[in-house]
Parts: sequence; structure tokens; C-alpha cells
Amino acid sequence: MSFILDIGGLNKLYDNGVHAVKNISFQVKEGEFLAIIGLSGSGKSTLLRMINRLIESSSGEIIFNSHSQGQLLNVTQLSPRELRQYRRKIGMIFQHFNLVKRKSVLTNVLSGGLGGASTAKGVFQLFTPEERALAMKHLETVGLAEKAKNRADELSGGQQQRVAIARALMQDPEILLADEPVASLDPATSHSVMNYLEYANRQLGKTIICNLHFLSLVRQYATRVIALKKGEMVFDGSALDINEAWFREIYGEEAREVEIR
Amino acid sequence: MVINFAFVAAALLGITAFAFRVEAGTYSGFWEALQSSDKLILLAGNLFLTWLWSRSPYSIAKKVVPSFEKSMGYSVNEQMSLLDYRIACEKQKSWMPSVLINAILVFYLAGGIYYLAAQFYDATVLNGADLAKIALGSLLYGALWARSRHSLGRTIVERTNPVLKSVHIAHTGNWLKTFSGIFTVVLAAFTLYAGFLVTKIDTWKLVSAKGINGAINIFGSLVRPDWSITASVLNSMVETIFIALMATLIAVPIAFFLSFFTARNLMKGHAWTLVVYNFFRISLNFTRSIEPLVWAIIFSVWVGVGPFAGMLALMLHSVASLCKLYSEQIESIDRGPIEAMEATGANRVLTVWYGVVPQIILPYVSFTIYRWDINVRMATVIGLVGGGGIGNLLNLYMLQARWEQVGTIVIVVALVVWTMDYLSAKIREAVY
Repeated sequence: MSFILDIGGLNKLYDNGVHAVKNISFQVKEGEFLAIIGLSGSGKSTLLRMINRLIESSSGEIIFNSHSQGQLLNVTQLSPRELRQYRRKIGMIFQHFNLVKRKSVLTNVLSGGLGGASTAKGVFQLFTPEERALAMKHLETVGLAEKAKNRADELSGGQQQRVAIARALMQDPEILLADEPVASLDPATSHSVMNYLEYANRQLGKTIICNLHFLSLVRQYATRVIALKKGEMVFDGSALDINEAWFREIYGEEAREVEIR
Repeated sequence: MVINFAFVAAALLGITAFAFRVEAGTYSGFWEALQSSDKLILLAGNLFLTWLWSRSPYSIAKKVVPSFEKSMGYSVNEQMSLLDYRIACEKQKSWMPSVLINAILVFYLAGGIYYLAAQFYDATVLNGADLAKIALGSLLYGALWARSRHSLGRTIVERTNPVLKSVHIAHTGNWLKTFSGIFTVVLAAFTLYAGFLVTKIDTWKLVSAKGINGAINIFGSLVRPDWSITASVLNSMVETIFIALMATLIAVPIAFFLSFFTARNLMKGHAWTLVVYNFFRISLNFTRSIEPLVWAIIFSVWVGVGPFAGMLALMLHSVASLCKLYSEQIESIDRGPIEAMEATGANRVLTVWYGVVPQIILPYVSFTIYRWDINVRMATVIGLVGGGGIGNLLNLYMLQARWEQVGTIVIVVALVVWTMDYLSAKIREAVY
């Protein structure tokens, strides 16, 4: 299988002097469910956001191998217009869901497809019947079709995250980035959200790159794991290979694993 | 160094020559008129300013001669880590602001003492040349003081700089016993003392029999209002309310549009957008700092005395004030939805429309109603200078010292303002 993302020598130095990501290189294969683990502040979120350039990298390069366009894209060199084109291929979900709280669930899902839409269309919500039908289909996928007319902030945390997944699917992405998607949810809802991510991965064939805290979730869902420690990559391999020694290496000597079932 | 020297010399000479022209009305013979001591001060100031400027990374010389930096010993050491380099850069940049803050504080104290001495003991008028010398001296002192990391200017600048904050070494022990501490106390004490002198606070005048009698006279008339003029008062009041309403209605869409360009978090991305941001920010601040009263006078000359002039004045001031409130609201929103919209690849306008607008619309409505409330009160005052409405009438009766009629107007205004206050508070509560 060919790679879909090739990251080489990526660095991020913030203005306040924090060297958040240090010289990280790895390849992501198409169809992988890649988990990135590490302590808070180890650079996971920064790394993820540099992939779709919500944060600009200080140095290094990112190559995107789009199977739909059949060409290699040098992500760090894109013009603003090309960047927007590229972002349409990269969906993202967030720890705090980041829905537009005062708008309906359906509008939130539809807003995922606004990449490339004209300003007038977005402002006056001139969505075509096909788009509405597609949005409803994605809402059905995450089991929330009957909530379509509700306001987004009326939903529970887990439901909001599922709406966020539907929104990301709406842009028909090749890669789905997930920034700690279950960190603010309870264990039961966590599994429900992770199940939908797994569905997107196995059934819809989306490549997934996901920041996670819990190793038990990683073992259950991810096909491959990368571990960061203070901005450096310390592990790359299968989740099943992370034994006690590796765990202490990644999370520090005093750490003890918390199980989430 | 030579380049900097030339620039500073030109600037200093220009200023002195201009000052001379203001006094004498001509440029000719200006150099001959300079005393040799003045020339010495000019030269010393020139050398000092040149040295000061050359320490800044923004000095002209460093822009013109790229290798200048290296010759001054500020070059980047190959062995330095990235963080050390950042710190060195920020230290260079923070030097000038530290000196300036120090100098402003010293100038305030020294100049203030000079001012008080001139005003209250000597009765001599303030002298521009003396002030210039004090300013130069303060700058020199500020620069020397900035060499201490506990000096006020450096403490303030380093504590607010994101990079230097982490390496700033705070003073341990009793701060009040340090020079900065003593300086601050002296500054505060001096300000209080000067405040008393300048505002001529005199408790005796407040309780003198003659003064109190006059006040009682007016108050007495005010509580015996003349109700025969009620019809004309109400007529003018309607005008005032509509002046306020139209000023608010026209101001809202303008301020709404401008507020996105004056919100720092939306505009900081690019050099050009920052230029737009600064342009609007500065011009709106300027507009806002001019009282609506002054705008009313300007507009009553422009479009003639009457309600239209008052409306324009209020409208302009409302645009500036609302814009500030609105953009502050934008600056305090949750960034999450913006990030989410950016991640979908939507364009800038749609990102703002979905990521920002839903979050600010309720506070906007609330601010707007509050602004209408303020405008009704302001419209009264604006009428005093020809802005039409109730203020016009108020002015008329006040000038004739007909306090009974003034009393009627005051009561009507109070009633309307109270009603507006109550309504706006209730509506804003309902909107949230």
C-alpha cells in the first residue's frame, strides 16, 4: 500500500521559545488508523495541526499523496487558495467539538461542505437538496438523524462529537484528523465515538490520525501507534508492542496505566 | 553610527530652527542667535541620541548597512541555541521601550516639579527650551536607569514580553526599599499633592453662606416647575428621542461591518491586514476621543443648527464606541469554531460568518440597546450646542435664568431617561 502522508524533519518553535515538535519524520499509509500518544504538552496537538496547517511549521516538509488527484502535494508550500483546496481533503474533529452552538445540527453538518463554496451560498445557506440529503445520510451514519432540527448546544457531549464526525464526513475527506476526540467524554460515550471513527476507517476507507490519552483505547482501535515525548518521537509500531518498559519510557517512571473499558 | 548621527542631527536642528522661527518669525540668523552653551547641549544631545538609537535593532543605520549589526557585536553566535537567540533578539527590541518608559516617568516627575515651581512660586511662564532640556536630561537618565533590570521601565517591558517573561529575575526582598520603590512612592505622593494644587480644592467655598443661598434659590425654583410649557417640552422631547434612535440605527450596520476589521484576533495574520487594522483602530480612537459635543458644533456649522446636526454627531460617536465594544466582543470569543471552519477549507468570509457571528450576535443586540439608552441622554446635552431637541429648549430657558421652566424640562428628561433605562435593562435581560 502506498503512503498518503509523508512527514519529514518537522519542527515547531513557538514565539515564546517553546520547541514543541522536534525533527519528526514518519509516513502514514492509506487506510491506517494511526494513534499518536504522549503526555499533555508533548506536542501531539501541534503535530496534528501542522498537518492541515492550522499551525504553521517552523521547518520540515509534509507531502500529501492524494489518490483522487493522483499527484504529490508539497503541503508547506501551498498558496492560500491551494491550501483551502487541500484542507477540503483533510477532515478534522476536536476535543471540544467546536460546533456552531447556536445553529441547528443539520446546518452544522452542512457547514462541513463549505470548502470551495461561494460566500453568498454560505451566508444565505443556499444548500442544494442533494447536499441536504447527503448531510442527513451522514447524520444517520452517526445515529442522530432525528436530532437534525435541534440546536447544537442542546445535545450532550457525545452527541456533539458525533455531529462533528458527520460534519467532517460531509467534506468527503481522504484523511480524518482527530484531536483527542474523547478526552472530555465519559468512558461509555468514548467507546461510542471511537466506534464511529472505526466505522469511518474500516467501512468508508478514511485514513485516520488520532491523538489519544488512553492506551486501552489505542490497543482496541489503532492499527499503528506513534509516541511523542517532549516533542520527540520515541516509539513507532504496533500498539500491542507497548509493554511495561515502553510505557514507562513514554509516560515517565511514576506513571501507572489507567484502564478504560 | 555616522548615518544615525546625521539623521539625529538633522532632526534636532530642524526642531530648534522651527522653535526659533515660531519665536522670531524667520529662519535667517538662527545659527548666529544660538549661544555657545546651547550648541554644546545640542551636540551632547545629538551624540547621546545617536548612541541610544544605535542600540535599537530598528535604527536607520542597521537598515542601510546590513553588516552594521555584526560590527556592533550583536551578531548571531553560531553556538547559540534557538531560544538563546530569541532572548537576545527580544532584549535588543525591548531596550528602547524600557528607556522610553523610564524617561517618561522621570520627565513627569522633573517636569512636574518645574511646572509647579513656575506656576505657584515664581509665576514665570513655562519655557519650551527649559522643558526640552529637562526632556533630554530625562532621556539620558532613563537610559542609564534602564541598565538596572529592576528599573521600572525594564520591569514593565520584560514582564509583558512573552519571551523575556520567563527569564526575568524578579526582585527579592522589600520592594519599597529599592530605588524603584522609593521612586514610585515619591511619584504617587507628588501626583496627589500636585492634584490638590492644580484643581484648587477649597472646602471653605463649599460651605460659605453666600454660595449656599444661591444654590438654594435655584433648587427652590426647580421644584416649583411651570407646567404651562408642557406641550412644547414634550414636542422637543420627541425630537430628542428620534435623534437618538436614528443615530443608533444608522450607526449599527456601519459599526457591525467595521468591527471585524478592528478585532485583533481576526486581523493579526498578515502585514497588510495589520495595516488595515491599525488604520481603522487609530481613526476610530481619534473619532471617539473627540466629545460628541464638539462634533455637534462641527456639524451644526456644516449642515446648519438643528436635529440633523445633532443626529450626525451622535451617529459618528456611536459608530466609534460601538465598534470598540463590538470588536472587544470578537476578541473574546472561543476560537474553536473558527478553527473548525478553517479546517473545512472554507473561505475567510464564511469562516467569520459561521465561526464568529453566531457567537457575538446576542452581545451585539445588548450593546446596541444600551447605546440607544446612552444616546437619549447624550442627545439632551448635544441640544445645548445647537443639536436640536430638548437641549435647545433647556439652553434657551437657562440663559434667561427662568429656573421654573428649567425645572419642568429636567423632570421630563429624568422621566424619559428613567423609562429608557428600565426598558433597556429589561430588554437586554430578555435577549441574553
